[in-house]
Amino acid sequence: MTALLEVEGISVAREGKKILNRLSLKAEEGQITGVLGRNGAGKSSLAYAVMGLANYRPQEGRIRFRGREITDLSITDRAREGLTLAWQHPARYEGVSVRDYLRLSSKKAEEKDLAEALSLVLLDPRSYMDRMVDKTLSGGERKRIELASVYLMKPRLAILDEPDSGVDLLALGEIMQVFRLLAREGRGVLIITHREDVASQCDRSYLMCSGSVVLEGTAEAVKRYFLSQCEPCQEPAALEREGCSE
Amino acid sequence: MTAQEQMAALIEIAERTGAAHEAFRSDDAIYVVVHGNEILGAHQVPGVRIEATETDDGIDAAITVERGVVLPKPVNLCFGHLGKEGRQVIQSHIVIEDGAKAVFMAHCIFPNATLFLHAMEGTIEIGSGASFAYREVHVHSREGRIEVRPVSKVRVGPGSLYEGDFTLVEGRVGDLNLDFDVEAWGAKSRVEVTSKVYGKYDDTCKVRDVVRLTGEGSSALVKARVVLSDASRGLFLGMIDGAASGARGHLDCTEIVQGRAQAEASPVVKASHPEAEVTHEAAIGRIADDKIAGLMAKGLSEDESVDVIVSGLLR
Repeated sequence: MTALLEVEGISVAREGKKILNRLSLKAEEGQITGVLGRNGAGKSSLAYAVMGLANYRPQEGRIRFRGREITDLSITDRAREGLTLAWQHPARYEGVSVRDYLRLSSKKAEEKDLAEALSLVLLDPRSYMDRMVDKTLSGGERKRIELASVYLMKPRLAILDEPDSGVDLLALGEIMQVFRLLAREGRGVLIITHREDVASQCDRSYLMCSGSVVLEGTAEAVKRYFLSQCEPCQEPAALEREGCSE
Repeated sequence: MTAQEQMAALIEIAERTGAAHEAFRSDDAIYVVVHGNEILGAHQVPGVRIEATETDDGIDAAITVERGVVLPKPVNLCFGHLGKEGRQVIQSHIVIEDGAKAVFMAHCIFPNATLFLHAMEGTIEIGSGASFAYREVHVHSREGRIEVRPVSKVRVGPGSLYEGDFTLVEGRVGDLNLDFDVEAWGAKSRVEVTSKVYGKYDDTCKVRDVVRLTGEGSSALVKARVVLSDASRGLFLGMIDGAASGARGHLDCTEIVQGRAQAEASPVVKASHPEAEVTHEAAIGRIADDKIAGLMAKGLSEDESVDVIVSGLLR
């Protein structure tokens, strides 16, 4: 069976420094796939490379989505293929209301759909619909609105970069249910996180270190390895010496 | 074109840019419609006095909202010209007496002008405990190069609020030289001034907003949102002077440049009284990549993303 997303040996360098090194991974339909790693491991760079940001185009390797190579496609074209990214620090848009922002993700969405999406991320639609997506929102509120926007878009694969940052612990469990809902609808979810408790709720996980995948397995196995071996974060050479490379 | 047809054409555009449908029709509507130097129509209600006379190249209007009068609907002022060339100089003197509350919407409409001078020289005097908003929206042609010279001097009395809003985003700017000078002389008076301009081609956009806070505990927010595309140029000169005890002011300028456009901003914050506090923020530059990428990840093209960002900023 063809995976929804196949990243095959991509390397990305910025300003002469390799930030992704022959990295490979897969994400499947109907599954939540986790990418776990310490800060600086290259997790967000992986998200940007998959989404097609200009400065993160691979120098080698390829990215396939639903069996089609997308390595050279623009961000827009990838999004129109059904791929999207919820950013770790979503941008703010002065003068754009939450309602209008959500509608950008789904032109056909009715008011009740927008309200449902906000409710799923635990925001009261009556309080938030007419607010602006600008600096008057806290980081956590902005983050939840981004997740609501991704939910409305109904992508084939949603990449969620640190979806837990800025979201309080109590709300996290409920927000994870949104991702589970997406997966149950047959969509793929790729969660990028530095928190093992978030990664442990995934169906399958990868462990990243210094721009490479160093371990792939069940979420529980990756979590155990991460907790026992991965602190502090080490350079790949050290990892190889310890026998924990792929 | 008859005067009636001119009036209908100007009103149609005014309605498209924010005037309510009944703004020029209902019995309680308050309005003045001017084409060039001809007063095509005017209507007033008790509590508002409008005295307007035609001059060689425009009109001279004095409008007073009497003491304690609260207007439930905006007063609509439509100043325009449907021709290609000419000049229009509007002299206006607005008085908002003590305790009065009013919103004025000025529609400056030049849909066909290619070589035109539109000058507004106005004074606004706001009494005590009053509230006044003056919202000016321009509609220009896409090709024209209009000289726009809005000059206003505003004085705000004790406990009063003045909101000034200038918007020139539809059509070409041409050559804009906006000069607003506001003095909040009354204790606890409040001033909010916003200027929104979208320069295109080789437009030049100069915005000068000056607020002097001379009333004890007075406050001001000055906002400028300028988008410059193609080879247009923009200059924002903003100043708030905290000149009284407890005066508070904030100056906030964002200029976005696209293409070969150039922008310059000189926000000046001054505290000429030791117990005043004035702050500012200014940002000039291209639209941040993450803003564009964020929208492209929802399937919008790059141009569509820029449109959403620019429209929001100028809304």
